[in-house]
Amino acid sequence: MLKNYLKIALKILGRRKFFTFISLFAISVTLLVLLVATALLDNVFATGAPEVHAGRMLGVYRMTMKGPENTSTAPVGYAFLDRYVRPMAKLPSVERITITTFAESVVSYLNGRKIQSSMRRTDGEFWRVLAFDFVEGEPFTAADEENGRRVAVISETTRQRFFDGRPAVGKTLEADGQSFRVVGVVRDVPVLRYSSSADLWVPISTAKSSGYKQGWMGHFSALILARSPADLPQIKAEFQSILRGAEKQIPDPKEFKTLIAGADTLFEGAARLFLPGPPVVDPAIQLRAVLLALMLGFMLLPTINLVNINLSRILDRASEIGVRRAFGASSRTLIGQFLIENLVLTLIGAGVGLALAAVVLRIFNASGLIEHAGLQINARVFLYGLAIALFFGLLSGVYPAWRMSKLHPVQALRGRSA
Amino acid sequence: MINLRQVSKQYRTDRIETMALDNINLEIGKGEFISIMGPSGCGKSTLLNLMGLLDEPTSGQVALDGKPVGRYGDRALSRVRNERIGFIFQQFHLVSDLSVVDNVEIPLLYRKMSNKERRQAALAALDRVGLSSRIHHFPTQLSGGQQQRVAIARAIVGRPGILLADEPTGNLDSQMGDEIMGILEDLNQKERATIVMVTHDPRMADKTHRVVRLFDGRQVQ
Amino acid sequence: MIRHLLKLVWNRKRSNALMVLEICASFLVVFGVATLGLFFLDNYRRPLGFEWKNVWNVRVGIARAGGSPGDNGSPEQAVLFDRLLREVRSFGAVEAAAGTAVTPFDQGGFGGNWTIDGKNVEMALDEVTPGFADVMGLKMVAGRWFQDADSGLAWEPIVIDRELARTVYGTADPVGRPFGKPEPNERQRRVIGVVSDFRKSGELMPNDNFMFRLTDLRGHGRTPSNLLVRVRPGTSPEFEEALVKHMQAVAPDWSFEVLPLAQVRATSSRFFLTPLIVAGTVAFFLLLMVGLGLIGVLWQNLLQRTREIGLRRAAGASRAAVHRQLLLEQMVVTSLGVLIGTLLVVQIPVLDLIGVLSNRVFASGLLFAMITMYLISILCTLYPSTLAARVQPAEALRYE
Repeated sequence: MLKNYLKIALKILGRRKFFTFISLFAISVTLLVLLVATALLDNVFATGAPEVHAGRMLGVYRMTMKGPENTSTAPVGYAFLDRYVRPMAKLPSVERITITTFAESVVSYLNGRKIQSSMRRTDGEFWRVLAFDFVEGEPFTAADEENGRRVAVISETTRQRFFDGRPAVGKTLEADGQSFRVVGVVRDVPVLRYSSSADLWVPISTAKSSGYKQGWMGHFSALILARSPADLPQIKAEFQSILRGAEKQIPDPKEFKTLIAGADTLFEGAARLFLPGPPVVDPAIQLRAVLLALMLGFMLLPTINLVNINLSRILDRASEIGVRRAFGASSRTLIGQFLIENLVLTLIGAGVGLALAAVVLRIFNASGLIEHAGLQINARVFLYGLAIALFFGLLSGVYPAWRMSKLHPVQALRGRSA
Repeated sequence: MINLRQVSKQYRTDRIETMALDNINLEIGKGEFISIMGPSGCGKSTLLNLMGLLDEPTSGQVALDGKPVGRYGDRALSRVRNERIGFIFQQFHLVSDLSVVDNVEIPLLYRKMSNKERRQAALAALDRVGLSSRIHHFPTQLSGGQQQRVAIARAIVGRPGILLADEPTGNLDSQMGDEIMGILEDLNQKERATIVMVTHDPRMADKTHRVVRLFDGRQVQ
Repeated sequence: MIRHLLKLVWNRKRSNALMVLEICASFLVVFGVATLGLFFLDNYRRPLGFEWKNVWNVRVGIARAGGSPGDNGSPEQAVLFDRLLREVRSFGAVEAAAGTAVTPFDQGGFGGNWTIDGKNVEMALDEVTPGFADVMGLKMVAGRWFQDADSGLAWEPIVIDRELARTVYGTADPVGRPFGKPEPNERQRRVIGVVSDFRKSGELMPNDNFMFRLTDLRGHGRTPSNLLVRVRPGTSPEFEEALVKHMQAVAPDWSFEVLPLAQVRATSSRFFLTPLIVAGTVAFFLLLMVGLGLIGVLWQNLLQRTREIGLRRAAGASRAAVHRQLLLEQMVVTSLGVLIGTLLVVQIPVLDLIGVLSNRVFASGLLFAMITMYLISILCTLYPSTLAARVQPAEALRYE
């Protein structure tokens, strides 16, 4: 029966070439946009190197100090993380903790050429919380960090820029007026991976002065690796209670009274970093709402358009429907047939949209608009795409199908709309 | 009034040529009420379309008031149709999304006149066919006979002088058919309207002045 | 005829509703994108108020001791910065140098709401050293710019831009006038000069209310986080390395990063224009989609109305008249969509959702969107209505 339906659907679609074409165009363009957006989000949030443990990782990225008059929001300072977050490593549910700066732009001069790189100062644990793909050498260690050794892990792009892509371990490079010995080379990390990406990673203790050790606000973040994803809620709660305790010890208690921060998943962290507006305790809901609203807002027009086209497709066949009904087809079979036809169309459109998205992403990656973007359609993005497509196909088919069921057989035979 | 001289009409599709009308000569005078009869597919409607300037003959000449219309362009033909000819169809062909009075106004839309004049003319035409009480109804709310009366009002609203009716009673029961026939006869007698009616109901044909019979595109009598 | 068409469109409201909705949604899309574009264009045509060519921004990374917000840095740091300035000026390739808290064209900055003479004024501000006017080529329209000696005054001198002068003082001469009331522990601010414009955020953003404060490098000011250098035209990029090496030698604990303002400007325009380009591209495809959809729907509609068209032809409508009527009918439908869209859009200024849009930009956006929708509508109707008008009336009347 289903096979029969499919056959009929394909035949009908082939017969009405113009309508099929505009439907396909609408579906594939809509999906193209949604797929590119999904690939972009996937690039930021999803589990993937180096955040292979994203599912059990939390980060403290940014904190708001609030007082009666002033509010200040900034990345967290080293002193705060060292004093309040690092001890959380002793919790049984926590495997390890790392502290790292956000990536900062630094400049090098090489044979009269200027090279700009982003540099992250971090500790030895960083390399065990995150899993970088080493193509050469190995990470620096906790001992390197404690002793302030001028060593660096660099990305493949950095190796290309400084050493023409030749093996770099053991060689020296200069950045921000300091020289570092390369101990390892890793694959490029997409710049949107805000908790790990950089071109160059060096020990925190190589900072030019020890000033970073003071201050609750600064340019640091901490990553907490839990033993299992199930532990995350408990760690989050623990962090909040530590935060309440820390409020009593704010360095300038007259100016600031409360602290707002969170141990965030990648998604929550991004919400805290990118959403404008006053700080909230749980920003993820907001970001989710914003993304959903954007998606629905974007899909509104294509959906109306498709409903309109579908309706026309149906009315175009009003007399055929009349004949079918006259020969005893129930509304249900007709609706079923129409929805299947619509689904087939949607899936073909999804296929076209996927192919187009692959092309667009390739162009996007090559354009370098986002550094080392590496956007791609993986199985997950594909599944998202499929889900969106099916939703879309159903949504745009329901109203026309309802209208079809209302078609009076006699009027339908006469070719009139209901 | 209407003059057809050696008129022939062929339909050409990709492969087949059909002779719909073959050498028809017909003269219809002012105030005449003529019926055209014949079996289905004999070319009655084609003949009516030619007289109504909806179609052009393959050969021969159609003249209206002594003037051949063969060289008229679309604009001129439309104008003649608008001013001189009124159509009545078997399927009524009312616009279902317009009310009765709006349907009747249609021919006047293509003339220069004010909305008020147009409305008055439409109301007068509806009054003439006895439908003054239903002007704001929609076609689907009317019976077949009433719909055909609206169609007649639409045909006469522009005072065209010539009415071409294509089986006007074909879709109606005999009582309603008689009613419609009554109106047409009345229009013919009181207003000297020239009427050409296609029908295959001999009872209706009998009421007209003259009957033209067609068979396989040829004039039989 | 129009009345007839209005009736026809109204009586077909069910099948027209979706089209009206679609046109309305498309109208909103076009309006959004067009208004954003026109907003940028409108801003771009106004004078910038400073010269960015041959100016380099050196980001100075200072490891601040306190680290908590509101920290001003130590007096030693200020003194070191002052020395850096003098060292930099000693290079032959350098025409002028100054310290600033804010990098021109950069999206960051300071600002907020002040209550001045009972008026709530939103403004942006920068703290600069006296050399800033020379480096940026600012034009004074009244009063004077800062001098070194100004740091010692009992009141705090400020320079404002013309926009802020107009906001606070109207047409009166601001020079010498007090600027708001001082907070406790602050000196009374007094305007010493007015510059023409200072559009810190760049050409694409609207005029700011802008205020300059003087950075005191001899003791208790905030140490600037940027050092601006105007180099002689034609200075080679190699000079940059020499400059950084020298500064690094003077202040080994600090970090330096040189970015020509041209580059900051490019980054900043990209920041604003990328969303516009992305939105524009998406909107273009959406409209293409809508256009094709409309053609399909109209085609189908007209196919269904073949007999009606035949009837009209029989009743004396010429081909041209049918064509005109169908176009007009679509214009009525489009007007409905556009009207609803406009009613929605004018809620924006009524609700005061956005303060930055000038009425002119808003009206142009509206007009642009209207014209676009009518054009699309006409374009999409042309083909189906030509087909419909070409129908032979005799055949059309037979059409089932």
